[in-house]
Amino acid sequence: MRNLLLSAACFPVAAYAAGISLEATPEYLRPNPFGGNIAADRGPAGFTDTVHLQVPRGGHASFHLVVKMPQPGPYTVTLRSDPNQPQAELFREWFHFTESDKQYYPDALIPLNLPYNSVMPEPDNHVSNQTAQAFWVDYWIPPGAAPQTFHQRAILRVGNVNRELPIDVTVLPSVIPNDDVLLMDHNSYGTSWLAEDYPSLSKKLGSSFFQSDEFFRLIHDYHRIFYDHHGIFHQLGYGHAGKVGPEFAPALEGAGRNRRIANWDLYDRHYGPLFDGSAFKNTRRGARPIPFAYLPVNPEWPASLVNWGEPGYEAEFVHVLSEMERHFREKGWTQTRLEVFFNHKKRYMGFPWDGDEVRFPSDNRYFVEYGRLLKKALPANSPVKFVFRADVSWDMEQQFKDLAGTLNMWVASRDILSWLPQAPSMLRSRGDVIFFYSGPPAVTEPASTITQFPLEGWIRGVDGFVHWLTVSAGNDPWFHFDGGGTALVYPGDRFGIQGPIPSVRLKIQRNAVEELTLLASLAGHKQGLETSSLQTEACRLFNRTAPKDWWNARPSFADTPTSEWTGPALDEATKPAMSHLAHIDPEAWARVRGYILRLAAEGEK
Amino acid sequence: MKPSLLAFGLLAPLLAADSEIIRRLDDVARTATVMVDGDVCRRIVTPRALDYMFKKDPGDPWAAGDNYEVNDAAFIAVKKTLLRLSRLAPFACDVNLWMPVPGHPDKIRVVIRNVNELSQFWPWGALYQDMIPSMKQVLDTGRRVTVREKPGWISVLAPVYDSMGDIVALTETVTHQPVDSHENVK
Repeated sequence: MRNLLLSAACFPVAAYAAGISLEATPEYLRPNPFGGNIAADRGPAGFTDTVHLQVPRGGHASFHLVVKMPQPGPYTVTLRSDPNQPQAELFREWFHFTESDKQYYPDALIPLNLPYNSVMPEPDNHVSNQTAQAFWVDYWIPPGAAPQTFHQRAILRVGNVNRELPIDVTVLPSVIPNDDVLLMDHNSYGTSWLAEDYPSLSKKLGSSFFQSDEFFRLIHDYHRIFYDHHGIFHQLGYGHAGKVGPEFAPALEGAGRNRRIANWDLYDRHYGPLFDGSAFKNTRRGARPIPFAYLPVNPEWPASLVNWGEPGYEAEFVHVLSEMERHFREKGWTQTRLEVFFNHKKRYMGFPWDGDEVRFPSDNRYFVEYGRLLKKALPANSPVKFVFRADVSWDMEQQFKDLAGTLNMWVASRDILSWLPQAPSMLRSRGDVIFFYSGPPAVTEPASTITQFPLEGWIRGVDGFVHWLTVSAGNDPWFHFDGGGTALVYPGDRFGIQGPIPSVRLKIQRNAVEELTLLASLAGHKQGLETSSLQTEACRLFNRTAPKDWWNARPSFADTPTSEWTGPALDEATKPAMSHLAHIDPEAWARVRGYILRLAAEGEK
Repeated sequence: MKPSLLAFGLLAPLLAADSEIIRRLDDVARTATVMVDGDVCRRIVTPRALDYMFKKDPGDPWAAGDNYEVNDAAFIAVKKTLLRLSRLAPFACDVNLWMPVPGHPDKIRVVIRNVNELSQFWPWGALYQDMIPSMKQVLDTGRRVTVREKPGWISVLAPVYDSMGDIVALTETVTHQPVDSHENVK
């Protein structure tokens, strides 16, 4: 088992002198600051005084290390290991006071240098009567590591009292494949939030912040943290009425037949290192170009709507898109799929049709027109990968048919996709890309909840999923937290770190997709191990379902005009499948993990 | 030099710049009253969308937005005029279209926004909002009103007439100094 072995499960953890102890819990059992566990996570597992992890090569293994001190005072924590062994990373877990239930939840992870010297209660976290501090311990096993078991120790020193916690890490022969079984996308909007989240930097740089090297480094840091956690990162660079952030588009000049790109400077500083992969050099996963990126194209860019329907609109659009294609080709930026994507909704009064989530089918003619313009702008044999993306819900079933050959990237409502089980394979077989969209679970839900998304994506046969907003932790995530339903990373500014820091949920999601990738790679390795049987067993272990339970029946109202559909009817139609995912038990992924590691071990015999 | 004179000496160029901005915005607003076609404005939002705008259904809280619908030809015709009007100013400004809500004299709604995503009045995402006194004044009197309620913002409100001579809408010609090129990119 890669999971913690509960070596002390049959008898209580030894009562240490003065109640000082160093203990551990599995990653899905989050500690609270008072020596217990988060209520939502409680299950059969508990605190242990030893740790035994199993981890395939090319993967991570993690657990919570917990310092318990009934009395306030200073302490030191460190990890002791042979320098030739894989070294653990240690993060302090921040306890967020969460407004919805007035409870503390650990989530933000502050990187530490060892040894870590501090005081209970943790001075900056301001938890009254705190008696326990949690640390996230992260092991990374390189693909080339030798299969073996290594022994390390966590050590707590409080005055003259020493406590040790043995850690055994068994490196399995299996290697997690390089390419994930699906893509996990983390979305965001614009960059103004960076100035707010990094006040020390933005104040120091003043009006030059948004043109500074530090600004572009910050953007690249966000890409890197998601990449490090097997994710991708999207930043939409324009607003609902077409305002484009200067770093998201080349600067334009002229009008009509004279419209042209005047300056690539900010755009290339932003995207160059992402498109050639150099932003990811020195990362564990290696330098690779980002797989997808939004383009700034919208109804007001690069052509102005003032010319819509006239030759000038076509001239502006085609000329600038052609220039972009040429620039990307000359730079060799041919690995990233560049998304023409319309995010606007008519309810925001910028434009008269919905680019996002078409409800009224008459809006589809705009996609057809832009498809025509794109074909005119882009050489058919271009090595640059342009895609035409739409985020779809109400009208998706019809759009899949009517806009075939025009749109070729779909980000679909998870709910409505649930009654179209043939759609992912149909779309992928014609070369389209299909994701579904979702949002991160709040910290108040069981820690295992976030693992449902990669599993669901794999069961449904999509290319990936999108967490719609992942960098917005609220006005005060530290002491008045909104739960983190729109954040999987946090600004490090408060801790003197000019970049994002990860979260417990992001780490759990990473570990799950690594293991799922290993599971998917086992298909066909021996008789009876087809993808369908692997999925069946994973579903059974995860939440006692079968893969068919993750789909819904197509409701009768799906045959009526989409303009007549209602929210309650949609909720009702998607309830059967969603009800299985409403309450994920804390051990859900631990059971799947056990299965994966058992299969992997059998495969090595 | 006395402190008050010194302060005036420092502020005078700023005040002069402000009054020049107001003068330019007022020119645009005055032109908008002549150029924006109130009859076309009335055809933009569909009766169905207006009907849904005020329906309350706790089981379907997004119904008003989900059913927001416009006549695209009318929208684009007016939007083109607004875009052209905004280009009369030598600085970044937007000309937004606002309209009263039939049967709800205490409400006002923005109908068309523009590329700089500027408005002194629109709370992001609202389909309608409480009537703004300065807008009511324009709708009642037909006189242009300059509004500087929020720091950095200057709006000039101007009436829009239909072919019967009735005031059916108003334009907000608006700028913010300094222009924030990153705000509302979302």
